[in-house]
Amino acid sequence: MKKRIDGIQLMSIPAAMLYGIFFIFPLLQGIRLSFTDWDGMGKAAFVGLQNYIDFFSDSRALGDIKTTVLFAIGSAFLLNLVGLIYALIMKNKFKFQAFVRVVIYLPAIISPLIMGYIWYFLLQPGRGFIYRAAEFFNYQIAWNWMGQYSHTIIVLILVNVWQYAGMTMIIYLAGLKAIPNELYESAKIDGASTLQIFSKITMPLLIPSIRINVVTNIIGSLSVFDIIMSLTEGGPGYSTESLSIYIMRMCYGNKTGYSTAVAMILFLLILVPVLISFKLTKSRS
Amino acid sequence: MKICDKSKKLEPILKKLGILYLFFWDDNKLSQRKGVRIMNKRIISVLAILLVVSGSLFANGSPEVSFFTGKVETIDLMNDIINDFNAQDNGFTVSQEYQKDASNIIKVKFASGEVPDIMTTYEQAYVDQGKYLDLSDEAWWDRLVPSMRDNCTDIKTGNQYRVCTNMTMAGLFYNKDIYDELGLEPATTWDQFVKNLEVIKEKRPDVTPLFIPGKEAWSLGHWIEFVPHGYIKQTLGPIESKLAMLNNESDKLNFGDPNGAMAEFARKLVELQDKGLINSDVLTATADNRTEAFVSGKAAMFSDGMWALGGILAANPDMNIGFAPYPAYMPNSKPVVLSAEDSGYSISASSTNIEGAKKFLTFLFSADNMKKYSEALGSPSAFKDVDASWAPKGFRDEVKATLNSAANIGFTNEKPAGFSGDDAGRMVQDLFAGTYTPEEFAKAYQEAWDNGF
Repeated sequence: MKKRIDGIQLMSIPAAMLYGIFFIFPLLQGIRLSFTDWDGMGKAAFVGLQNYIDFFSDSRALGDIKTTVLFAIGSAFLLNLVGLIYALIMKNKFKFQAFVRVVIYLPAIISPLIMGYIWYFLLQPGRGFIYRAAEFFNYQIAWNWMGQYSHTIIVLILVNVWQYAGMTMIIYLAGLKAIPNELYESAKIDGASTLQIFSKITMPLLIPSIRINVVTNIIGSLSVFDIIMSLTEGGPGYSTESLSIYIMRMCYGNKTGYSTAVAMILFLLILVPVLISFKLTKSRS
Repeated sequence: MKICDKSKKLEPILKKLGILYLFFWDDNKLSQRKGVRIMNKRIISVLAILLVVSGSLFANGSPEVSFFTGKVETIDLMNDIINDFNAQDNGFTVSQEYQKDASNIIKVKFASGEVPDIMTTYEQAYVDQGKYLDLSDEAWWDRLVPSMRDNCTDIKTGNQYRVCTNMTMAGLFYNKDIYDELGLEPATTWDQFVKNLEVIKEKRPDVTPLFIPGKEAWSLGHWIEFVPHGYIKQTLGPIESKLAMLNNESDKLNFGDPNGAMAEFARKLVELQDKGLINSDVLTATADNRTEAFVSGKAAMFSDGMWALGGILAANPDMNIGFAPYPAYMPNSKPVVLSAEDSGYSISASSTNIEGAKKFLTFLFSADNMKKYSEALGSPSAFKDVDASWAPKGFRDEVKATLNSAANIGFTNEKPAGFSGDDAGRMVQDLFAGTYTPEEFAKAYQEAWDNGF
């Protein structure tokens, strides 16, 4: 028996090595570098907590946190709302249901970078197909959406929702299918209205799915990079720059030590919803 | 034991997968203990073999000369030249690697020690860190236009760490047919410039007088580079301005002055936007949109360097293109045109095949290859013995006249590493978006410049 365990342990070595080399080692290196002034090429000098102190007086970085959090909250809310609506529609059988489900899910498997460029070409003021179509029908929505921060952030959130709502829908659909039909039937016999059935049966039993969706959407949106790069490149100026893009730009802007400290802060920022989800899952169980 | 028992059925298959067989099986059905011992020995043997093989690979070094470039416009041409070179018996071959984001990727290469032998990327910070080989004593310089050698000289050491193959100019490209139709002449002062644009707007409402592709931050950064920086360079002189930028002499640069060159530049740009003399989609328009609008006659003018010419002529070979300097916008100043080095080649100081790299560059810099290079790039050669038709004759004459009439300036290679031309362009995006007033813009530029140091 002992020998068998040895063999199994031996086989786990490659996986442990890969985990160590590609996760633990870079993480430890990152923590070490975040306390230095390394410019990416020369020698690194220890600067203590200076990078972390600098971060909180860096107006661009603080603006990026605002954009990132706003994007995450807006995306998470709309993704769940739209995903739930899609799932409620998909729950009932209708013609071409499978096809419609695939169409809704399809954007999620396309690279967000490509998706961003596609939407850019559709929405580009003066040139994009949607802009031109709106202009043709004389709708007053043909605004220059990149001219104002509030417009630009809304466009970014909507594109993100359009891309990933299908993924959220699949989780909700699984949750809805797990609710026993008997509950709905008995509620109907008791004379419950559609709204009552939804609020007293569907929603409470969907709470595990809501938790998973909200937490994964917030985590994914906090590390947003591709969609913003392809649609606005963080502009105009740095107004829609996310923290991930800021880290990349600082890293290549000869502030590698500082960018690593910002990456650690982003790591902690993402850790918050993760810990909340762990806590909620624990209390649920 | 169970592993060995269960695996008996799989043994024939796994035998074919040599490496697993080497680890776990033995033809003589060994006992488990013996099997484990042999397995350990074989793991050690395999690791030892890998160590020896990899060691010998590193010890021998690569006979290849690696060439790293970020110049998309020369990929095919360089492949042809490299193929011609590799067809000779040189004892080594040259390979090309192109990266769109070359200026950033070279940093990763420097950090990881995988430095290419030859590269087109060049930064003052890398010069300061001794990353490039000193090329000051090479024979190539005798063939170069003297001013190009000056442009390739590191201001701190007086040495040359790169050789440029071409000269480039940047200024205002305009549609000559529209100008001729409206009886306009290229402007030398900002007032004349605005007047010209107003005439175009009034007489040809279907044409955008000046097209600015503002989604491309680099393009907006060029406006700063050529207009306010151009003013500083012409007033301080080439060496003095380089030193002022290198040492961040704020009293000379005077970026933050609300009545200085930077604030005035911002005021002029906002004026163009307010008067509707530039494209309304300035914040979302790309360089492709710009080229498309210009070649189709929907835009009368744009600012760029000679590198844009190839794309324009490819889209409309018969287009009648004019070239003009940036008009003087400050009192007692002259119009400005960029006349700078282009397409620089450096050799890594840590290259293991320096002689090979020099041999290839000598081949590349031959008059025949440089003629091809110049014509493909659409910019004049920096070598005196190269006679290339890099553009239609009429356009070449326009460029020559512009160079003779305006103050010639070079690129700002001495700007702070933490504040790129892209960063400067993003500030102009903010200016167009209404985030800054001209005075705030100047102040913010000063702060960003200082922070970059």
